[in-house]
Amino acid sequence: MNRHEVIIIGGGVTGCSIAYHLAARGMKDVAVLERAYLTSGATGRCGAGFRHQWGTKTNCLLAKHAIARLERLAEELDYPGGVEIKQGGYLILAYTPKMEEQFKKNLALQRSLGIDARWVTPREAREIVPFLNTEGLLGATFCAKDGHANPFKVTDAYARAARRLGVKIHTYTEVQDIKIEGSLKTVITSRGTFQAPVVVNAAGGHAAEIGRMVGVDLPVVPERHQILVTEPVEQVLGPMVMSFYHNLYCQQTPHGSFIMGLGDPNEPKEYNVRSSWQFLSQMAQKVVWLLPVLKNVRVVRQWAGVYDMSPDRQPVLGEVPEVPGFYVAAGFSGHGFMIAPMTGQLMAEIILGLPTTLPVDMFSLSRFTTGELFVEPSVV
Amino acid sequence: MRIEQHPVLEFRRGKKIKFTFDGKEYVGYEGETIAAALHAAGIRVMRESPVLHRPRGLFCAIGNCSSCLMTVNGEPNVRICVEKLRPGMVVESQKGKGVVYAAGN
Repeated sequence: MNRHEVIIIGGGVTGCSIAYHLAARGMKDVAVLERAYLTSGATGRCGAGFRHQWGTKTNCLLAKHAIARLERLAEELDYPGGVEIKQGGYLILAYTPKMEEQFKKNLALQRSLGIDARWVTPREAREIVPFLNTEGLLGATFCAKDGHANPFKVTDAYARAARRLGVKIHTYTEVQDIKIEGSLKTVITSRGTFQAPVVVNAAGGHAAEIGRMVGVDLPVVPERHQILVTEPVEQVLGPMVMSFYHNLYCQQTPHGSFIMGLGDPNEPKEYNVRSSWQFLSQMAQKVVWLLPVLKNVRVVRQWAGVYDMSPDRQPVLGEVPEVPGFYVAAGFSGHGFMIAPMTGQLMAEIILGLPTTLPVDMFSLSRFTTGELFVEPSVV
Repeated sequence: MRIEQHPVLEFRRGKKIKFTFDGKEYVGYEGETIAAALHAAGIRVMRESPVLHRPRGLFCAIGNCSSCLMTVNGEPNVRICVEKLRPGMVVESQKGKGVVYAAGN
């Protein structure tokens, strides 16, 4: 029997960040349980971007604080070699008057929160990306401080820092059931039994399954998203180019490879991480239309992962009122990686009963019963 | 150097054609790979390694290893061990990861 103060289920960037932030605040008797290897879920399959350009105040603030932490993460966590930060901006393209209107609303919100994002004309967009196909483009929004970080390194940096502080990380340890007696939770895994008064569900696409083990109905569903990566070439693309119209994004990593993904509005809500030839074909056609220089760049591999989608595309953060000591950090809906530094900090503050750095009430699970949703409009 | 006679294999060479490598004109046979033509012309260094910039020669010769990537007719990262030679090809040795877009294009 392994007895701890806190058990975190999920060894993605969120779980590792929560573990680190708890330990850094003195709660060092923490175990992280991961069914496969660290980053094996959504973290290691994500598009590796971070942006300030969101459509709700909470996401803008989360992103702003999180990105400030990412920029200095290597120093904060003493991680030599860094986490491959590249701040070439995000260029978010508008093709319809409705999009332009929404984006300009977003910009007003972002600027009111001190985020330096701006509207650019198609001509200015071509100054940022000279080979951008501007056919049909009405304009775009651009924030120069948006960019790329390596999700494997960010997670590794948090995991190593957490271990140094005494956190135990158990990989290939799959949670099979959770039993509750009084305040004590017994977590039965493929590698033995763990006990703690506090359990944190950071299981991403598996969060609803974990919730069911304690009788909690989490409205978080897995949704497959596919990605591909090309061979590396010399740097030519500064920003992440994102089009909600084409439902795609594409960026060039510091290594030189292009990483790109496509959302499919008809994707069934199920756990599926297989990749498809249809994606390869559609992705190639759409991205070559938008960024013609990619036509001769070779694809190295493609893969898929799941977003943990919530009804309003916002995370669920906090304790489940019916199950004291059971906390949820899930439902990130495709932007869990970039806000993970703040997720970890806020969750640690919530669990330890400290004042939270940012308001967190709106992330509570109860919003789905009271109907107080706050839909994030800007998700691919 | 070319093997002219072989106890088992029979060579059916195409017609002689001209191409350039790093600005200099060479002759090869149509239908052979670019790598074969360069090798026959005595060129052994195909590429430099991406980090330490050391010379790399022909290695796998079947399109797997990335040891022979060159820029061919302006297209970077062409695996010349599997790319067939065509008349007038402009073959250039490649420094770095390959340039897909240069300002002014």
